[in-house]
Amino acid sequence: MNRSVHWRTRTAAAAVAALSLGVLAACSSSSSSSGSGASSSSAPAASSAAATGANSATAGTTSTSSCGTKPGVAATGTPINIGAINTKQPGTDFSDIENMTGAYFACVNANGGINGHPIKYFPVTEQTSPAQIASLAKQLVTTDHVVGIMGNSSIIECSVDAAYWKSVGIDVLGAGIDPECYSTPNTASVNMGPRYSSDGAVQYVMAQGATKIAFDQSNVPGTAYIADGPNALAKAKGVAIQDFTENVPITSANAIATKLVTAAGPSGAVVLNFTPPEALLILQAAQKLNLEDRVKYWACSTPCNTDFLATSLGPKWNGKLFVNAELLPLDGNTSATAQLFDAILKQYGSNVSGGVGSFSEMGFTIGEIATHALEGVKGPYTVASVSAALEGVSNFNTGMLCQGYTYGKYPEHIPNNMDYTVTPDNGKFVQASTGGGCTLISADDPQIAAYRAVAGTAPAVG
Amino acid sequence: MPSWAEFQPYIVTGLALGGLYALSGVGLVVLYRATGVLNLAFGAVGAMGAFIAYSIIQAGDPGWVAWITCIVFGGVVTLGYGMVFGPALAGRGPLVQSISTLGLALVLFGVIDLAWPTTGGQSPSISFPTDSGGFSIGQLQVNWTQVIALGLGIVITVGTGAFLRYSKLGTAMRAMANDREITATLGVPIRRVEAAAWLGCGLLSGIAGIMLADLSALDDTTLVFTVVISALAAALIGQLRSISVTFVAALVIGLVHDLLTPITQLANYQDMTPFVLAAIALLVMSRGQVMTRSREEG
Repeated sequence: MNRSVHWRTRTAAAAVAALSLGVLAACSSSSSSSGSGASSSSAPAASSAAATGANSATAGTTSTSSCGTKPGVAATGTPINIGAINTKQPGTDFSDIENMTGAYFACVNANGGINGHPIKYFPVTEQTSPAQIASLAKQLVTTDHVVGIMGNSSIIECSVDAAYWKSVGIDVLGAGIDPECYSTPNTASVNMGPRYSSDGAVQYVMAQGATKIAFDQSNVPGTAYIADGPNALAKAKGVAIQDFTENVPITSANAIATKLVTAAGPSGAVVLNFTPPEALLILQAAQKLNLEDRVKYWACSTPCNTDFLATSLGPKWNGKLFVNAELLPLDGNTSATAQLFDAILKQYGSNVSGGVGSFSEMGFTIGEIATHALEGVKGPYTVASVSAALEGVSNFNTGMLCQGYTYGKYPEHIPNNMDYTVTPDNGKFVQASTGGGCTLISADDPQIAAYRAVAGTAPAVG
Repeated sequence: MPSWAEFQPYIVTGLALGGLYALSGVGLVVLYRATGVLNLAFGAVGAMGAFIAYSIIQAGDPGWVAWITCIVFGGVVTLGYGMVFGPALAGRGPLVQSISTLGLALVLFGVIDLAWPTTGGQSPSISFPTDSGGFSIGQLQVNWTQVIALGLGIVITVGTGAFLRYSKLGTAMRAMANDREITATLGVPIRRVEAAAWLGCGLLSGIAGIMLADLSALDDTTLVFTVVISALAAALIGQLRSISVTFVAALVIGLVHDLLTPITQLANYQDMTPFVLAAIALLVMSRGQVMTRSREEG
């Protein structure tokens, strides 16, 4: 009897310990989920390869002086205060976006500034706390007296602050994640976001002949909204599609890979919308189980577009995996924009920890558009004049996007709705040889159709 | 509901995971029986060992060096903790002793986050040469890593059972599980026996860490918490005494977890598997004990 009681005491203690651990695990998991949800967005991950600067083309052949109107002359006028809010927390770090925008502004300041005025940048970071995000927005406006918000990228910032930005008259330029970054009048993004990037991946594999789609993403809030896009595209083309969601972090990638391959079938495609770590887990599991050839295609939304993922997967995936790319594929690119990007990153981007990649490309593109808009301001730099200048940006060729960029005065903003498709090529991502060039996201997605109804269809730029 | 053929692949993946949960559960039970400590740092130690192994492989050293380092790291850290904190906490209750290992787990968790940050979209991973080899059973693909995982679970369970039953050290551990003080008065060197238990548990954490880094994910949250929860659930079902029941429970947890994958309505709840099974088992066992007690008193 004593032993039984003794055992029960110990077991009860153990159960309490297990419960504590479970609670801890749940907390931890929740934090990560936020992260797998964020990244299931299309704010993509930076490539590691280029942290060394070994990127694109002929690095260093273009001088950074081309980013300003007075090469070599530092701006000394009254500063133009610009703010930005990025998510930066364990597992989810978008701060390379505002850091690269900051690098672009530093380059502008060193080369004449904006009509002689330097840009004073106020980049702040948040940890997905709505109260904190709301407070940071007010701080930027009331304490730092910013006249524009340029370089935002956050898991929930658009949904938290959209009403506030509207109330103070600020138009935001950022890299979007949550739906409000695309569906509100005061925010426009340079990227497509998770829904339209997933659209791009799905329409690519359908164009290549996939007869069934298994679409999988993180089990986080907002996944139904994202899945609506790919489902609309597949339905319009009469292609069967099955949606899945996974708890993140993924604990049984082998089982998930097996499930997806079974669902897609030999003539189908698996399309993933995850952060690079989670997508890599599923793809590697498929590789370990020799499942990669059991479906016709594998595809990914933008986050997979990182050389690190291509390197980790190896050559088996060359021409097998196709990734939606919202911005210019930089590997091997010799355009003037790619060279300027490289030069700015080297000279001013010491705090861009991920180096070359989608995040830094987005930050660069935001810097380009912001500078273009600010240069058009006549008179004092106020919230009203800067917002008006942003709204006036029309068909601006960034060199990074397929289309000219238009901010406009619309109830919703999806200015980037034409994409590239890339595929691994021995550790790098290169433009897919078949159908990988600039392609409009299908208006079979009702959100895209609604945007084009008010803003029209911007043509591809040369 | 998926067909039987659609369930079959998940039997393979589930058994492989279950095998690793089993060897983890056995490690927990052996240590608990010898010292009274429920080692909640089991997953964290294995996780850190796996991350160190990853760095070794990235540095260009052979894979076997990395694997051995992971296992040795598990043994050394766990033994070190047991030798330093074990005696100091020996007089405290099992709850205090167990929670103190949670402290070690959180310290290691923090160190992993600091040393191997996940910014920039990079994600570490470990692959074994055995991943690319295997065999087919009909439509089923089985790779050697999965076979090794299940095999290790079986070998460790059988080996540990034989060790506890037939070796002098094992007998001493069983004696300590019954009554530590009487065992000590009989001249058993309890510090040495405890050290062996800590070391064995640590080595198993290293093995589980490196194997799960390949089969599941080289992810600190997954390795630190998920493994421990599943192994702990199996150990609780084994009443923290029976390694054979722990083994079976671990296999069932791994199987049920993965077999839920193709059932769309339940797939997102599959991570609850260890909790649900442990809760059911504890309820059934406590009901049995109450009935036994009633009969004895009546």
